[in-house]
Amino acid sequence: MGIQEQYRKEAAELLSSGAVKLVIGYGEGTTADRRRPVFIRSAEYVGRLVLDANCVANLSAYLVQEGLLSDGKKVAAFLKPEGIRSMNILAAEAQLDPEQVVILGFDIEAGQATSLSGRNASDFTALIGSLKASGLSPELQKEADRLEHMGSADRFEYWKAQFSKCIKCYACRQVCPMCYCRRCIVDVNQPQWINTSSHTLGNFEWNIIRAFHLAGRCVACGGCDRSCPVNIPLRLINHRMAKEALDTFGHFAGESADQKPVLATFRQDDPETFIL
Amino acid sequence: MSESFEPKIVAFVCTYCTYAGADLAGTSRMKYASNVRIVRLPCTGRISPMFILKALQKGADGVLVSGCHPGDCHFAQGNYHARRRWTVFRALLAFTGIPEERIKFSWISAAEGAKFTELINGITGQIRALGPFEQYQELQTVIETQSTY
Repeated sequence: MGIQEQYRKEAAELLSSGAVKLVIGYGEGTTADRRRPVFIRSAEYVGRLVLDANCVANLSAYLVQEGLLSDGKKVAAFLKPEGIRSMNILAAEAQLDPEQVVILGFDIEAGQATSLSGRNASDFTALIGSLKASGLSPELQKEADRLEHMGSADRFEYWKAQFSKCIKCYACRQVCPMCYCRRCIVDVNQPQWINTSSHTLGNFEWNIIRAFHLAGRCVACGGCDRSCPVNIPLRLINHRMAKEALDTFGHFAGESADQKPVLATFRQDDPETFIL
Repeated sequence: MSESFEPKIVAFVCTYCTYAGADLAGTSRMKYASNVRIVRLPCTGRISPMFILKALQKGADGVLVSGCHPGDCHFAQGNYHARRRWTVFRALLAFTGIPEERIKFSWISAAEGAKFTELINGITGQIRALGPFEQYQELQTVIETQSTY
């Protein structure tokens, strides 16, 4: 039995036994290699679930839909390790109760979906610990290093060219499980912190503040990068923030459901080499 | 250019330490560069990164953020939280190519009027040498620099 059949069967059992009220998974998309989220409320529809190497979206974003978990009932979600980490962050930030989420964990290895054992967030602590030990993506680090060696004027030109493409569609925000604020800072207009005109200054401000709000929270699921219609390399700037949190504060986002957010905590001996 | 360039520097300071330090510099009749515009806030923990971006957006050539020394915060922990935030924000600004020399952070206590004077004079000199931060302000006129998509 393939992993897809196995997980369909499991979803059907969870739904028919009443253990969960909803299964959030992947279904067929508009093209053969695209998957879209499906929301299954009855065991008779589990045939719509698809699980293969094309299932890349981080579905944990749907867990914080307003009112979804407020009735205390459980929900099952297909989550990759990044998805489990972002769910942990949402739990740590008091956005959901991890007890209410049944994790149908999977990973993609060598073009194949593989199953992960464990159904609760706490079952994956060892897995996430091993991810922390293996460190951040070396490919992204290579690209980030290239930028860092440029010198600030050239780096500024690089980002100016990138950010000037931004059309402020906010797809990066909409897709991100971490961007759950009811009122995003960019939508605040009294005072208007971020310039919403079509010039590049506002694009700079938006992209800087978006990255800053993800510092120590981004799990590198790549959702923003994939959703960007003008291909701004958002993964790079997120990676730089994750690196800062890991190198300076030893913080790997989403290690557990009770991990303190990196910018909401401190140590008296935090480094401060730059302060005059 | 006939007139020499005078930088605009915005200083976000906490009211209990650095503002009192600046006050001490004033009452002690110590002279410091008039390029600095001081914005007084309750605590360094109140200083949002948005303030720094807003200052640059409105034409500042340099920004100073200053508060109580670690352990001296009136609210016990505000400056510790602020320190973490700045560490991350500073790395982010550097990564996007905003020169680190233009964004300064310091601890100045209420007793350090002389340090305040020295710091302001020093920063003003450095930023005067760097010249205006036109690179950033000119972004307002840039609609699109490249169309590769």
